[in-house]
This record gives sequence, structure tokens and C-alpha cells, in this order.
Amino acid sequence: MDVISQLQEQVNTVASVAFNTFGSLQRDAPSVRLSASYPEPPQTAAAEDASSFAEQPKLMSAALVKAAKQFDALVAGLPLPEGGEEAQLKRIADLQAENDAVGQELQKQLEAAEKELKLVQELFSQATDNCFNLKKPE
Amino acid sequence: MATATYPPPPPYYRLYKDYVQDPQSAPEPPPPIEGTYTCFGGTYTTDDVLPSLEEQGVRQLYPKGPNIDFKKELRSLNRELQLHLLELADVLVERPSQYARRVEEISLIFKNLHHLLNSLRPHQARATLIHILELQIQQRKQAVEDIKRRREEVQRVLKESLGTLDGH
Repeated sequence: MDVISQLQEQVNTVASVAFNTFGSLQRDAPSVRLSASYPEPPQTAAAEDASSFAEQPKLMSAALVKAAKQFDALVAGLPLPEGGEEAQLKRIADLQAENDAVGQELQKQLEAAEKELKLVQELFSQATDNCFNLKKPE
Repeated sequence: MATATYPPPPPYYRLYKDYVQDPQSAPEPPPPIEGTYTCFGGTYTTDDVLPSLEEQGVRQLYPKGPNIDFKKELRSLNRELQLHLLELADVLVERPSQYARRVEEISLIFKNLHHLLNSLRPHQARATLIHILELQIQQRKQAVEDIKRRREEVQRVLKESLGTLDGH
């Protein structure tokens, strides 16, 4: 895949990791006591949840930062020569002119080679005819 | 517009009755369309240009100008994105009801990122064209060299054979 498509993929990956992080943290976070006057929230297997839950933000934020660093690395690998659009267009025009010139020379060489081929074929057929008819060579 | 299930072919075929004998008796094909055209009720345009962010109603975060330093802008947008994600996390902890503005800013940054990447595509197209032209020039030069070499070889072999036949 070319580098720009990879960059686009990476942006989408960062977005999906970010919203998955926030979404699962919001969904899985243990309840918070807002005020002393509210009753205690029901304790539903809170012990193992808490230990595994503390790992989740670390893992997810590590994934997010890794994705962002990969994006930076891809950006650093962009082959962007200086000069901008005009330099590119000028180079294209130069290359087209050179291509036309080389194409014309190729055409000339081709025509000359075809002429020679026809000549040689003609001479060869004459020589073989003479051979078949047992004519003496002059 | 034909709305039958299996519409008949258009009736122009009658005009091409004598096309084999006289190609000029039939009408020319229609010229290529320029500008906008309607197809199955939708408008399309022949001018394929990336619409700028303002035309789509999105604020542009990176500076405008003729020559944009893409690498620098992409990197700074990435930094801003990370900062905004951290801000969102803070807001969700402290003032959860104010998430909407942060989310809007994050989506704005993503739109800018994608627009920047899309505006790199014409540049990539021109670079591909340059590469193809260079390859083609190289191939043509190679072909010219090959043909020259073969012709010289032919001349040599002919001279040799002439020498052999004369000595016969």
C-alpha cells in the first residue's frame, strides 16, 4: 500500500483506538460515590474487577500512544521533494519533450532496420532462386 | 426517461442502416461532456478537484498558502490531537456534561488531517507520472541501442558472408 493510504489507515486506527478506549473505560469503570448522603453502590464482585480494571487504561493508552508514534514515523517517511507544483509540472514538460525526441529517434532506427530487413530478404530470395535454378553466380 | 421494466433500446439505431457502405451517412457520436451533467437524477461534475474545507463548512486549522509543509503540519495536527484526547479524558472526569465541545474539536482535527492527506494525492499523481515517463524514456533508449547493435551485427555478418561467397 502506498504511504498516503497507510497514513489514512493510521489516522483511522488512532480514531478507533481512541473511541474504543473511552467507550470501554466508561462502560467498565466502577461506580463512584457522589455524596455521603447517597447509599453505598452495590458491591458486585468488585475485588477482581478493580485489579484487572486498573490495567485497562494503561494498556489502552499505550496502544493509543503507539498508534500516534507510528503515524509520526510514517509522516517522516513521506517522500516530499522541495519545489512544489511548478517544479513538478516543469519536470513533466521536460520529460515529455525528451520522450518525444527519443521516440522519434526510435522510429527512425526502426524504419531503417525494416528497410534493411526487406533488402536482405529480397537478396536472399534472389540468391535462393538462383541456387534452385542452378544459375551461375555473376 | 424510460421507466418500463425492460426499456427498449434507443431508436437511433435506424440512422446507422448504411454505415458499412458510407460511414458519413450516420451522425457523429456526441462530443465529450464538459461541466456538470445529470445522471439518474443526480448531478455530477467532470471537473474532479478536491473541494476546500471552507466549501464543506469545516474550519481549516493549518495555515493556507501556496506551498504547505505537509510533514510539519501533519506532525503538529497529530500533537494537537493527542492534547485534545487528554483534555477529553480530564473533562470526562471532572465536568462530564461538557464533553460535546471537546468531541467536536477532536472531530475537527480528524477532518483537517484527512483533508491534508487528500490534498497530497495530486502531488503523488504527478510524481507517479514523472516516474512513468522516466521509465519509458529509459526503455526507449535501451530499444534504440539494441536496434543499433543488431543493425551493426547484420552489416558485419553480411560483409563476412560476402567475403566467403567471393572466395567461393
